[in-house]
Amino acid sequence: MAREKVYLEEVFPSPFMQLWGIFRKTPVAMVGFCSFIFLILLSVFSPILAPYTPIDGNLDMILLPPAWHADGNVSYLLGTDELGRDMLSRLMYGTSLTFGLSFIVVIFSLVIGVVIGSLSALTRGIKSSFLNHFLDVVLSIPSLLLAIIIVAILGPGISNTVWAVAIVFIPQFIHITRYAVKEEFRKDYVLASRLDGANNFRILYYSVFPNIVERLMSQATLAQSAAILEIATLGFLGLGAQAPLPEWGAILANGLERFYIAPWTVYLPGLAILFAVVATNLVGEGIRHALKLRKEN
Amino acid sequence: MLTFTLRRVSLFLFTMLVLTLLSFSLSFLFPGDTVINHSGHINATATDLIQLNKDYRMDENIFSQYTAYLTHILNGNLGQSMASQSSISSEIIKLLPATIELSLVALLIAMLVGIPLGFIAAIKHNKATDNAILSLAMLGYSIPVFWLGLLAILFFSIGLGWLPSAGQISPLFEIEHFTGIQFIDILLSKSPYKWQAFSDASAHIILPACVIALGPATIFIRLSRASMIDVLATSYIRAARAKGLSFIQIIFRHAIRNALINVIRHVGLQFANLVTLAMVTEVIFSWPGIGRWLIESIYQRDYTAIQSGLLVLSCFIFIIHILIDFIYAALNPLARGNNNGS
Repeated sequence: MAREKVYLEEVFPSPFMQLWGIFRKTPVAMVGFCSFIFLILLSVFSPILAPYTPIDGNLDMILLPPAWHADGNVSYLLGTDELGRDMLSRLMYGTSLTFGLSFIVVIFSLVIGVVIGSLSALTRGIKSSFLNHFLDVVLSIPSLLLAIIIVAILGPGISNTVWAVAIVFIPQFIHITRYAVKEEFRKDYVLASRLDGANNFRILYYSVFPNIVERLMSQATLAQSAAILEIATLGFLGLGAQAPLPEWGAILANGLERFYIAPWTVYLPGLAILFAVVATNLVGEGIRHALKLRKEN
Repeated sequence: MLTFTLRRVSLFLFTMLVLTLLSFSLSFLFPGDTVINHSGHINATATDLIQLNKDYRMDENIFSQYTAYLTHILNGNLGQSMASQSSISSEIIKLLPATIELSLVALLIAMLVGIPLGFIAAIKHNKATDNAILSLAMLGYSIPVFWLGLLAILFFSIGLGWLPSAGQISPLFEIEHFTGIQFIDILLSKSPYKWQAFSDASAHIILPACVIALGPATIFIRLSRASMIDVLATSYIRAARAKGLSFIQIIFRHAIRNALINVIRHVGLQFANLVTLAMVTEVIFSWPGIGRWLIESIYQRDYTAIQSGLLVLSCFIFIIHILIDFIYAALNPLARGNNNGS
């Protein structure tokens, strides 16, 4: 029997590449992923792309409806608010506040949570039990409530909101890292490298982390969709971003008084929040779906 | 069951310790004088301050300060509100039942809608119905609750005029305050317009309760779907099918019961989530509950009220949590044991 390849080289992609291979084949997840990338680009480049400034209004163009409306003006595509500020520009600038900040916040809490979580997974006894109980208590308080508490202590404002949301998500990441690391440490391949003489940190870095990174990413997408909603909710309640800042929740709260005569000032920011959260959740669903399929193979 | 109870009690005590410590330390973290933050006596005279310092043992060490604070809480003295100078415990007793009522109705709606939908999705696993329900669940999970509340008001109250948009009951009805839970109070009252009041109160609760229920309902869909899929894959279901039971019999007699147990386990955590959603919704629908009161206290920098309100709210959430743990253990014998033989 003739063989075309003499040396049968088996290509074995890394777990992460396997996951990406499955993820790429799910169209819905890819739509979510593209929207996610779009939002990230928008939050970085909104000052270049936005047609107007988000703060200065044009008082001749007050409460203009969106362009598809009979009274709309095409140079203000999504209409204007009560001070003549262009809604499209405000929403674009708002991307970097609501979406961009939530992204940064999640990365920040992810890093801190992973460090504390993996260190705590290596400890045993009373310290570990105390941490476990403490995490149980903290995690049983809903994250939004906790964020409201922290904003109440620090005082309203966008920077305090960001700190509050970051602090809220750290326990979640500690919990999931701790759990995942403990689970991996029980497996045989960890034992094998331990027999090779690797110390705990080497095992953690070279063996465990590559295997739990997807789980952390899936948790990060969950956290980010919650973070977007939290930043927006705090903004809406007047505890987060303050008046002139174009944070989506704050824009919505601002439109509330003219809700009936200018409904677009309320439904557009809401749609923007919805879009960002759906995109994040689709990415998360895609990762979880791919993880499940990879496990089955 | 005894070990289980003891374990829960120890967890409860630990949590109460952490929560009271947290609320105790809030007084130090908030701006202003600690003893005034504890008590809320914002206009205290010099003699009052001496008395307060003595009551809260401010000149002693931190541990004895904490015990003094704990004694005050255990005696039901949460201090007085800085904004209105009225007793916080009586305000909370007045407001908390409204929140309990709203969240329980919302929880009921969420479970009644979410769990059956999840079961349907699981039975039609990987078919069009399943995908449709899952996509709807994802959408519902992503909608910001305040936006949904506003849209609901715009559509049902202003546009169609079907349901009232604010408050707990029309001010025309005078309902005496017995338990604070509006529906029970109405049924207990001797007013001749009892049934009109009842239907008015129901019309008021539908919109906010549905808005709150949407998020948790989608989570119940996911939970019940996952648990039903697990149950349907077990061997006792296959055995029941081999015995010749019809599909309906299998679902109703065997699958639903076992799948429900796993869902009930998560109700506690969802309840916490639901109460937070209720806080935001109370603001939009002007519902006279503790959430709106708490958020207004934050606006007014009423530190004593924030501190006590948080303590009461988190205790309430945690008590429900433990209660549901007990219900779960009562329903599921497997959860009661301490891992013997498993």
